[in-house]
Amino acid sequence: MRRKRVCLVSYGSTEYSRKSEESVLTHYANAIRQALERAGLHKKEVRGLSITTQASPDFSPHVAEQLGLEVDWVLNGDYGGAGGVMSARRAADAIECGHLDLAVLVGGNSFDKSLPNQRPLEYQRANFVDVYGYGGPNSLMALIQRLHMENYGTTLEQIGKIAVAQRQNALNNPQALFREPMSLEDYLNSRMISDPIRLFDCVMPCSGAECVILASEEKAKKITDKLVYLVTDAEISHYQVANMKPDKTTFGMKVVGDRIFSEMRHEDIDLLEIYDDYPIAVMIQIEDLGFCKKGDGGKFVDAHDLTYKGNFPVNTGGGELSVGQAGLAGGFLHMVEALRQLRGEADGHQVKKAERALVTGIGWLNYGRNLGTTAALVMERRQ
Amino acid sequence: MAEARTPQKSIPKVNKVDQPFWEGAAGNKFLLQKCRACDKVQFFPRVACVDCFGALDWIESNGTGNIHSFTLVRVPRNPAFKDEVPIYYINVILDEGVIVESKLVGEKKEKVKLGDKVKVVFEQTHSPEIKLPCFELAE
Repeated sequence: MRRKRVCLVSYGSTEYSRKSEESVLTHYANAIRQALERAGLHKKEVRGLSITTQASPDFSPHVAEQLGLEVDWVLNGDYGGAGGVMSARRAADAIECGHLDLAVLVGGNSFDKSLPNQRPLEYQRANFVDVYGYGGPNSLMALIQRLHMENYGTTLEQIGKIAVAQRQNALNNPQALFREPMSLEDYLNSRMISDPIRLFDCVMPCSGAECVILASEEKAKKITDKLVYLVTDAEISHYQVANMKPDKTTFGMKVVGDRIFSEMRHEDIDLLEIYDDYPIAVMIQIEDLGFCKKGDGGKFVDAHDLTYKGNFPVNTGGGELSVGQAGLAGGFLHMVEALRQLRGEADGHQVKKAERALVTGIGWLNYGRNLGTTAALVMERRQ
Repeated sequence: MAEARTPQKSIPKVNKVDQPFWEGAAGNKFLLQKCRACDKVQFFPRVACVDCFGALDWIESNGTGNIHSFTLVRVPRNPAFKDEVPIYYINVILDEGVIVESKLVGEKKEKVKLGDKVKVVFEQTHSPEIKLPCFELAE
C-alpha cells in the first residue's frame, strides 16, 4: 500500500436541519469542536485546515482566521462532491511530507441569506446549458440514467432498490432527516422531476457540517487506541475530456478503481460508502470499481443485500439520499460514516465485520460527459 | 416597497472565446471548432484543441445529428423557464462527431426516442442579438 503512516483519528457531525440560517462558519465550528473533543485535542494542535466553500467570500485563509486558527497548511477543497476524499488525499500528502502532523478537514452548508446565494456557474454550464432551461444536476443525471436503462436494460426497480436499502440503513441513524420506512412502491410513485429521475432519486438540500481529522501515525497513537489508517487513495479529473462522443455511463471511477485494486482485492472490502447524489450514480460506481461488469449493475443489485446487515453493505448510515445533503458536507458524510463504522461506533446500524471501508467522492456534472472529478480512498482498522 | 423582480430567462453572457459561435448562431449557423494541426473537431468553444493543444479554426456544422439521450425537465433550475415545461432537454451527437447539449422543439417532440434524426433550428431569445441553437425532429 502506498500510504503507511497516516491515520484518521476523529470525526464530528452537526445536527442536520432543513434550512438553518446560522452562518456556515457556525456549522463548521460545531463539527470541528465535536471532532476535537472526541479526540481530546486542543485547538492549538491544529496546524492544518481544509474547507470546501461553495459561496464567496469564504477563501480558505479567511475562514482559518475567522475560526482563530494559526495554520501551516490551508486548502479550499473545491472539487464538488469529491471534496471530502480529495481533501483527505491532500492532507495525507502534507502529513507524509512532514509539513504538519495533524489536519482538520471540514465541509458544510447553511441557508444564510446574508451570503450572496447566487454563485457563479462554470462557464460552459452558464452559456451552453442553463440557457435551455435545464433542471440542474437532476437533468444531467437523467440523461445518464436513460442511457444506462436503454443500453443495459437496467430497470427502475433495480435502481430503486438502492434508495430503499439506504432508507433501511437510515432508520436507526439519529442524524438522518428521513427516518420513515420507504417502499419500492413509494420510490416508483414519487413525483417525476426530470424523466426518468424521480423525487426519491434526489437528495434534499439541508444545513449542517461534517469534520474529520487526519494525523501522522506517531501523533495518532497519542490521540486514540482505535487506529484507522488511510491505506490507499486515487483520483482523476476530466476523464474522457478529449472524447467528443464520451461514454456517459462510465465515470472516471473506472480509472480510480483500477488504481485502488492494483493494491488490494475486492473481497477485502467490508463496506462501501459511495457518493450518492443519485441511486444510478451508486450503481455506476459499483460497476466502475469492478465489483461487476459494466452494465451488470442492475443484476448485481438484485443479487445482493445492500443494507448494513447484508452481504454488500453500502451507505450504511443512509447516505446523502436519506441523511440529507448539507452542501459539500455531502462529500464528507461518507468518510465520517466509514470512520464511525471502523471505530465500532455506528450504534443501531453497525456492520458486523468492519475492518476495511472504501469511500468515494464524485464532483460536478460537466458538459456532455458526466463527472468532473472522481476520487476514492480505502481506510483500515488495525489493532 | 420592494417589488418582486420578474425572473428573466438565462441567456449567454458572450465572451471573447465563444463570441464567433454566438455571431454564427445569430446568422442561423452552428459553428464548431476544428484544430489546424490535427483536424480534430470539438465543442463547446475552447482556446485550444483538446487533443493536441493546436490552434483552432471555426467551421460550419451541417446542423444534423441524432438524439443521444433526453430528459423531460419538470422543474427548471431558473423558474423563468416554467412556461415551457416539460422542456425536452437533449444530448445530440452531430454528424461531425461531437456531443451537444440543447433542447428539442417542434410539434412532434413528444414522439422522441433515442437515435432519432434531428436538425438544428434557431430560437430568438429576449435579447435581439442572441439566438439559441435548438433541434427538431427531422422528416
